Amino acid sequence: MTTMTRRSFAACAAACLMAAGFAQPAAADQAAETYVQNILDEATPRLTSGDQQAMFAAVDELVDKYVDMRRVGRFVLGRAARQMTDEQAAEYFPLFNDYAKMVYRNTMENYAGQRLAVTGSVDRAAYDIIVNSKIANPEPGDQFADAIIHWRIYRDREGNMSIFDAGANEIWLAIEQQEQFTSIIANNGGGVKGIDALIAEMKARLNE
Amino acid sequence: MRLIAASWVAPWAAFCLAFTGTASAQLSGAGDDPDALARELEAADTQADGSVPDPWEGFNRKMFAFNDGLDRKIMTPTAKAYRAVTHKKQRKGFRNFLANLRTPVIFVNDLLQGEPKRAGETLGRFFINSTIGFGGMGDPAERMGIAQHSEDFGQTLAVWGVDSGPYMVLPFLGPSTMRDGFGAGVDLTLDPGFWIATDTARYLQWSKAGAGVITSREPLIEPLDGIRADSLDFYASIRSFYLQSRKREINNGRTTYEDLPDIGDFEEFDELE
Repeated sequence: MTTMTRRSFAACAAACLMAAGFAQPAAADQAAETYVQNILDEATPRLTSGDQQAMFAAVDELVDKYVDMRRVGRFVLGRAARQMTDEQAAEYFPLFNDYAKMVYRNTMENYAGQRLAVTGSVDRAAYDIIVNSKIANPEPGDQFADAIIHWRIYRDREGNMSIFDAGANEIWLAIEQQEQFTSIIANNGGGVKGIDALIAEMKARLNE
Repeated sequence: MRLIAASWVAPWAAFCLAFTGTASAQLSGAGDDPDALARELEAADTQADGSVPDPWEGFNRKMFAFNDGLDRKIMTPTAKAYRAVTHKKQRKGFRNFLANLRTPVIFVNDLLQGEPKRAGETLGRFFINSTIGFGGMGDPAERMGIAQHSEDFGQTLAVWGVDSGPYMVLPFLGPSTMRDGFGAGVDLTLDPGFWIATDTARYLQWSKAGAGVITSREPLIEPLDGIRADSLDFYASIRSFYLQSRKREINNGRTTYEDLPDIGDFEEFDELE
């Protein structure tokens, strides 16, 4: 798409949104809420039945099925993503996939089986929806009883949805990863050189 | 989802940490010159985010390493020892007691932020918990529906429209910003104990500060170990957690999604298809 076409599209989209009264984030998105609740209902029993290896395998499978890892992997590079060479991309995306799964597995390691229930959603844009959830029926005194677990959903033109990010009480995982990745890239010369350093760092971490 | 909550919510609670953001840096003067634009983009990526710059990153990283060393060698073993000799309910009681002692600071900042209802809640919690809550060890106010909240002068300044200023890591105290570091100093003076100049009062103040550090570090033993183990850049990771969570605190827990970084619309990601 040329720059002019891109600009025209953006201007047209903005005008349509304004005219439709969607300048502010809109209210609930039922389809996205159902999408997330179905994933949560599928994940809960799978993450709590079996040993740690089975749980890790379930995490990997759920991530493969529902998380758009390539989109997340590009996002966390920040602006440097535009400077990545094809060779670097071929090396980076599989590494990011492995690294992110490692983080997700470690995050879920002590998951105690609480069921999460969707509580609402906000449309940031047609392609960008936030779905919120909370622990359903928390035990009395549970310090996380009021914690809001967010799911950021990407929806493509055909209406297919995928998970882009997850967070708790407005602290987002992909944003935190972006901060780390862009910091490593910038502190190692930036651009292609910085991405090489990031790839080396990821390899070293995965081989530990 | 306990660990997810522990990993993200706990750092928020313990560090009293501000902001989110995109790497959408303020670009100025680059015009259409691709080289100038590229240089600005590179510089932008060294900032904590678009609004909270980190121009002292070199110094901050040294302070962070110093604090991290103290944490590994002194704070973590102390927190583990504290956990070993106390029961969960006792630790909860100590945290409640210390939180109750912060009432004057929270109350004054509630008022300074023009939040009389929250100031009333703070006062109500103090009287309820100090009496039928056994001097603040219990939290019957919570069960009565008066939830605990925290305020500090850094948040008050933010509500007044004062910019965060640069990100900074303070020795011993950890992540902060120029505004929040100044605010922490003012909060010290809002504590009545600060103005009592006797040896006993000073001893009690230092004891309170030490107890506060240990009781707030203890619940974070596992979450911080996890973040440290998983991070490729622990400094940047903690900076992000601090700035994201601090923003929510300033908003008094009201969720906002408007300034989240864009995840890329259909066009931008076409190349991925």
